[in-house]
Amino acid sequence: MNSPRKIVITGLGAVCGAGRTVDEIFGAIVNGRSAIAPITQLDASRWPVRVAAECNVENKILVPDRKLHKSISRTDIFGIYAAESAIQQSGLSAHREMLDAAAEIQFDDRSGIFAGSGGGNYGCNYDFFQAMAAAKGDLKKFGGHFAESVNPMWLLRNLPNNVLCHVGIRHNFKGANACITNHCVGGAMAVAEAAAAIRACEADRAVAVGHDTPFEPETLFHYQWLGLMSPEMVRPFDRDRSGTVFGEGAASVMLETAEDAEARGGKIFGEFLGSGCATEATGVLDIRPDGDGLSRAIQLALADAGISPGAVGMIIAHGNGTHASDASEACAIRRVFGEKIPPVTGFKWACGHLIAASGILDLVFALTSLSQKIVPGIATLNLTDPEFAPFPVSKNPQQPRSDIALVLCRGFGGMNVALLVRANP
Amino acid sequence: MTPRRRTAITGIGMVTPVGNDARTTWTNLQAGRSGLATIGHFDASGFPVRIGAEVKNFDAAAVIGNPKLLKHSTRSHRFALAAAQEAFADAGIRPSASDGHRWGFCAGAGMMGVDYRELETVQKYCAPDGEFQPDGFLAENFPADPVAFCRSQTNSGLALLTRHFGIRGYATAVHTACASGGQALGTALKVMRRGHADFMLAGGFDSMLNPIGLSAFCLLGALSTDNDAPERASRPFDLTRNGFVLGEGAAFLVLENWDSARKRGANIYAELAGDGNSLSCYRITDSPPDGDGPIQAIRQALGDAGISPESVDYVNAHGTSTLMNDRSECAALRAVMGNHIGSMAVSSTKSCMGHLIAAAGAVEAAVCALAIRDGIAPVNANYTQPDPDCNVNIVREKSRPMKIRAALSNSLGFGGSNSSLVFRHPDEVDA
Repeated sequence: MNSPRKIVITGLGAVCGAGRTVDEIFGAIVNGRSAIAPITQLDASRWPVRVAAECNVENKILVPDRKLHKSISRTDIFGIYAAESAIQQSGLSAHREMLDAAAEIQFDDRSGIFAGSGGGNYGCNYDFFQAMAAAKGDLKKFGGHFAESVNPMWLLRNLPNNVLCHVGIRHNFKGANACITNHCVGGAMAVAEAAAAIRACEADRAVAVGHDTPFEPETLFHYQWLGLMSPEMVRPFDRDRSGTVFGEGAASVMLETAEDAEARGGKIFGEFLGSGCATEATGVLDIRPDGDGLSRAIQLALADAGISPGAVGMIIAHGNGTHASDASEACAIRRVFGEKIPPVTGFKWACGHLIAASGILDLVFALTSLSQKIVPGIATLNLTDPEFAPFPVSKNPQQPRSDIALVLCRGFGGMNVALLVRANP
Repeated sequence: MTPRRRTAITGIGMVTPVGNDARTTWTNLQAGRSGLATIGHFDASGFPVRIGAEVKNFDAAAVIGNPKLLKHSTRSHRFALAAAQEAFADAGIRPSASDGHRWGFCAGAGMMGVDYRELETVQKYCAPDGEFQPDGFLAENFPADPVAFCRSQTNSGLALLTRHFGIRGYATAVHTACASGGQALGTALKVMRRGHADFMLAGGFDSMLNPIGLSAFCLLGALSTDNDAPERASRPFDLTRNGFVLGEGAAFLVLENWDSARKRGANIYAELAGDGNSLSCYRITDSPPDGDGPIQAIRQALGDAGISPESVDYVNAHGTSTLMNDRSECAALRAVMGNHIGSMAVSSTKSCMGHLIAAAGAVEAAVCALAIRDGIAPVNANYTQPDPDCNVNIVREKSRPMKIRAALSNSLGFGGSNSSLVFRHPDEVDA
């Protein structure tokens, strides 16, 4: 084996405030419709931030198995739904049905699952408030009575790796796996690690999924306090950008070898080309103004894919709408592409910021954009920030320069991930 | 095909219930000294389970020094900082301004980021009578603490350690419950092999020994309730075992390319030679009785290391001391090892230091490396009544001096993730 295995994407899944199918969400994006609206899941009337891109589809519509709802949380519902959408679209479950017993065992053991999980949220701990209030600070009393008010399944419901477990059980994906808990870049890294596992022959196929439900009151409170939230909308790269807005949901891609996909006649949406990952070592919140980590992540991804910057046809930017992140992102892009920057866009203005699911959601719509040969506009953009103009973002659709998209994802911890994909001709 | 890059373990750091550094931990594990006791750092006297494996006499201010780091770190982050510091010192290298981008970081990170006292503050403002009212956050005097927020993010530990040590390359945090530490090392190995880093700081850190974490495991009935005999409460593979003992701590390893480690004359403990990784797809808390799932992970790890089952001389078992988990692990070992099962020493060091959850796999990887270096299989403490369903060659009564050509470490998690790692003696690699 000399040439690396070619890895293709044969299934896509997504759910967020803008819709619960890839087509529905992409339709909203190209039509300039944002899902950001007043918050309804919480009475936010007194809050400085009153908007989010909520996804109010009922649990039972996303995951009909109601018994399962008892042992998982809302973020897991999104993750399971998105992963199952991608698996179903790939046709792999039907393919598995046709295998003989021995081939089926082999198939299961060679099917991997990689999740980027929001995990570690605050709200789950509130299940203990009743016991804490009753104990009035007396831990001895708390220890004797918490079991009366807390669900015995509490820990299991809140495991960060639930999506791995339940998608695995439901689809017999028994191979290589990981649950990445790395803030915003979890979903993007799930794709990178899934592809790396296939490339290294540790798996023949793998589903990658990212899922999150970030807008708990406590998270909203702290982000707002730190000046990261916009009170109205996300305006990536705009002079008047005022911060980000939370979204919730999940996205997923099914990856497999081109050889397998072609042999079984699976529909191919695109090819995974490479990934890069770098931290700026700046702690939880700080980012470098020069875009150091992001530019290195992009360079690593280009090297991993074996392509030059000139081959990139469009960039799906992280574009979270905060002042510092967008400015340093523009800086990083310029460092790599010089004056020949391909069209740039982003989707957070439409779907909100899905945190752990953000990068993989962007990847799904990078593939959709490439296949329709369009770089969707940023509907909320009024005036590109003169600080980094000219910069090829637009309110209107643009033309991709080639069939390759670069997807950028950034997160707390100075994290940066870059992914490269090519559309299927 | 060019020969694969080999990965050397050249630095080890540990903070565990049996010692606040690697040497003390290893000495106590060899002697079979227990780190299990009545929980002391919070009042657990009213809980159904009152015992745990705490890190003891850990003077964070003395070990870490930097007050800013202390302020930005949770209990488990402090263990992580101390273990990482020790690992770098032991390896004799650390990231510099010129090579920081070639250093990577990968850790199994615990799932709990909110300190109980911080939760109490939120409860006081938002749920004084138990019912959560979000507007409590908006009270004028609510003590908003952005530092506490920063400590509680899923990748806070990653952010803290990469910043403090200047690691600027690939960085990730993973969580597959009890398999986290093993999976973190497996991921680190793969990142090294694919050339995305030349050095890695890899390990795990966790502390669920707090009122919420303890409650959570009590609710599941997963813990040993031997409150009156903590030292004997964790007895993996013993017929009378009745649950695990919750522990806390951290371990980090410095990984580097074998050839460059040899070139600089580094002290190499062992090769991190193989990783196997599978999902049981069975039940969320149980491992299948026939060992399906762990079997695939062990096989893959051996295949990945390019060794036969016969060259494994020691297994550091997951061995939690729960009824089903120990049985399933033994079934898996028997299935993979065949006739070799009787001649291979098996022990669970959880018998002395409890279950470190997301840090367990990392600590036990460090133990395997030390076991190889010193030629000693550490004792499985508290093993007096053999369980016919766990018929493997347990290292009983005292640690066993023996040449260890290769060691295997298993980590099997809630949610069904299984990780197996293979470590090889340097002589086997250089031969």
